[in-house]
Amino acid sequence: MRTLLSAGEIRKVVEERTLHQKGTGKRVVDVREEMERLEERGEILIHRIRPENRPVTATTLFGWTKRIPTDRLWHHKSCGQCGNIPGYPSSLLWLMNETGRTYLNEPHQTSCTAWNYHGTATSNPVALAAVAARNFHRAYETDHFPLIHCGTSYGDYKEMRKLLVENGAVREKVRSILRKMGRDLVLPEEIVHYSEWVHAMTPELIARQKHDVRGIVATVHEPCHYYKMVPEDAVYDERVYSGQRPAVPSGILMALGATVADYSTWYDCCGFGFRHILSEREFSRSFANLRKIRPMVEEAHADVAITSDTGCVTTLDKSQWIGKAHGLSYMLPVLADVQFAALALGAHPYKIVQVHWHSAPTEDLLTKMGIDWRTAKAEFQEYLRALKNGARPELLHPAHGEIEQFFAINKGQVLPDEARSAPSDPSIAGEEGGRD
Amino acid sequence: MSVVAHLPRRALTLAEEESASPPAMELTGRRKIADGDRALAATIFDEFHADPRYREFVLGCLNCGECTTGCPAARFYDFSPREMLQIAANGDATTLWDALQEKIWACCQCYTCNMRCRFGNDIAGIISVMRELSVIHGLESTRRTLAPFGRSLTLLMTVGTQVSSDMIQPDFFRDWGPFATGSDKVWQVSPEVMRKAIPVDVLQTTRSAWEVSVQTSLELFRIYEETGVLDMLRGLDPDLTEMLVDIVEERREEFAEARERFAADLAGQRGTVATFTG
Ligand code: SF4
Ligand code: SF4
Repeated sequence: MRTLLSAGEIRKVVEERTLHQKGTGKRVVDVREEMERLEERGEILIHRIRPENRPVTATTLFGWTKRIPTDRLWHHKSCGQCGNIPGYPSSLLWLMNETGRTYLNEPHQTSCTAWNYHGTATSNPVALAAVAARNFHRAYETDHFPLIHCGTSYGDYKEMRKLLVENGAVREKVRSILRKMGRDLVLPEEIVHYSEWVHAMTPELIARQKHDVRGIVATVHEPCHYYKMVPEDAVYDERVYSGQRPAVPSGILMALGATVADYSTWYDCCGFGFRHILSEREFSRSFANLRKIRPMVEEAHADVAITSDTGCVTTLDKSQWIGKAHGLSYMLPVLADVQFAALALGAHPYKIVQVHWHSAPTEDLLTKMGIDWRTAKAEFQEYLRALKNGARPELLHPAHGEIEQFFAINKGQVLPDEARSAPSDPSIAGEEGGRD
Repeated sequence: MSVVAHLPRRALTLAEEESASPPAMELTGRRKIADGDRALAATIFDEFHADPRYREFVLGCLNCGECTTGCPAARFYDFSPREMLQIAANGDATTLWDALQEKIWACCQCYTCNMRCRFGNDIAGIISVMRELSVIHGLESTRRTLAPFGRSLTLLMTVGTQVSSDMIQPDFFRDWGPFATGSDKVWQVSPEVMRKAIPVDVLQTTRSAWEVSVQTSLELFRIYEETGVLDMLRGLDPDLTEMLVDIVEERREEFAEARERFAADLAGQRGTVATFTG
């Protein structure tokens, strides 16, 4: 893999950037330190990663240590993925089942609502912060650590956590709103993207690999909101592009044995644009085809494009079909990293990975991965017929009861008052992998 | 001479702007503003500069163009983040007003400019501040720009998700091709059965990205009421807002009825479920 600067040189650039920002009064602080002070003053509660969450440590762009919980997780779904690429969340849940991880996937969650904010601006930072804090508190009261599926939710929640830490007035306003619904202001120790879970779980995942993917060339689209929104906290690893690019989602592809190929426009966004993907699609599809798919195919000869955000999968995948009108007939398969990993580990391409929701056909890729998609497709068609005739759906986790259509019921809630008076857990302080 | 030299050191008042002779070269071109819009433009200009985020996001500008070089929107629109930052830093009421009419909506909010700016400007953020002001003041151009978002705003306000599988109608998304919607033409089953084939119960709906419990949606609506979002929306589209209020009223009644129906199951519950009444 071609690299331009050594990891040490990259670190120097980052340090210079930090110094420069210090000089302009925009110092990059580690909000986690300030959170500790706020908790001591009784202003917030920190949702801590506990031994039950089985954390694994990773390093961020700024060389900070980040703890990635791998168990007892609260799935924060993404409004885009669930609507039109449902194989993204179902592949992730399947991987958790395969590796024996526990989780909650509830109806008691809203989206972060940041798609709307970045698309139409019919919101404001206090509302975004309150939405974030409501979801944070729900995760906290179920005693499961939030795992964020979407790149934008991940970026937005880091911005909102920072806002709530740095701005006392916003904190007060949000707290008063939360109180009206019986909630309190809780901030998670870490904001964790699901691809960071994949990164932390890589050894366990590759140990279960069923299909040889060494013949696959993958190009990675790095979701902008993963690493451009709050850059200091994104996970980097010197083994992936010498630490020059985020470690996710490239790391899992490399570990599975696929070739991760470079292309000139890797830094570009996908063309989603929030508003654009719905009402200015001529922009989204032009950008996706000309600036992303074409270089991926013509420069890197990719078999598949891999990304780790809802909007990016949608834009890169759905924009290609119309390219034919301009002689661009690439139809490069586009998958989330978890979909690719689930396929490599033997997940059903239709029932679990739900490849039929994607516009660019995946059959050639599946064949190249050694997956018998014809048999799988016939099974799926049979399954659809059964469902049509009233069969019960196969589920990855038990269905919620009727009461949960209405109420966010008790799942061993941690009530704020109890948490405040609880003695601190000494096993946490002494745990390996505390931050530096 | 550099273009920077032509930029005023402070914002001009409208009177000064009227009497000023055009500089030899203008960064943003000569803008026109209708007489009837001047007072509103001045108000927006003042509110923009008074927003606490202004001082945090706009730190200075070298005019280096690094932001624009990486900007996706700049490739396809008459738009540049450098210009937006210059308008924010040095523009006047007219240039700001002009940017609000159309240009601000070109931005993809990708944050590439922020990442590239050596000054650490939050250009994507300051564009959002401009957009918020155009929504708050219900600008006609903003109403037109956001007109296609009624359905996603309805979902957002009532259940807190923004896209559902039944929004991806083949007629409207023809450019996405025949396979984009788990199409019934290909698989010979209804969209409802296609959703049932997703192995996750909360995703087995066509009307929302996932099923959201009534308590959760009412908590969300409370947030919108308390943070002024509902008022923002009322300024933009009063009819839609009234419809949303009606929907939420019905959900509140539904929630109260459910509390009676599930009284026995709820008896031992603690926390929010025991206290939140809608
Ligand atoms: S955030 Fe907007 S202005 Fe900045 S690079 Fe992206 S599209 Fe351009
Ligand atoms: S990158 Fe920053 S300093 Fe350079 S033109 Fe853009 S806003 Fe100005």
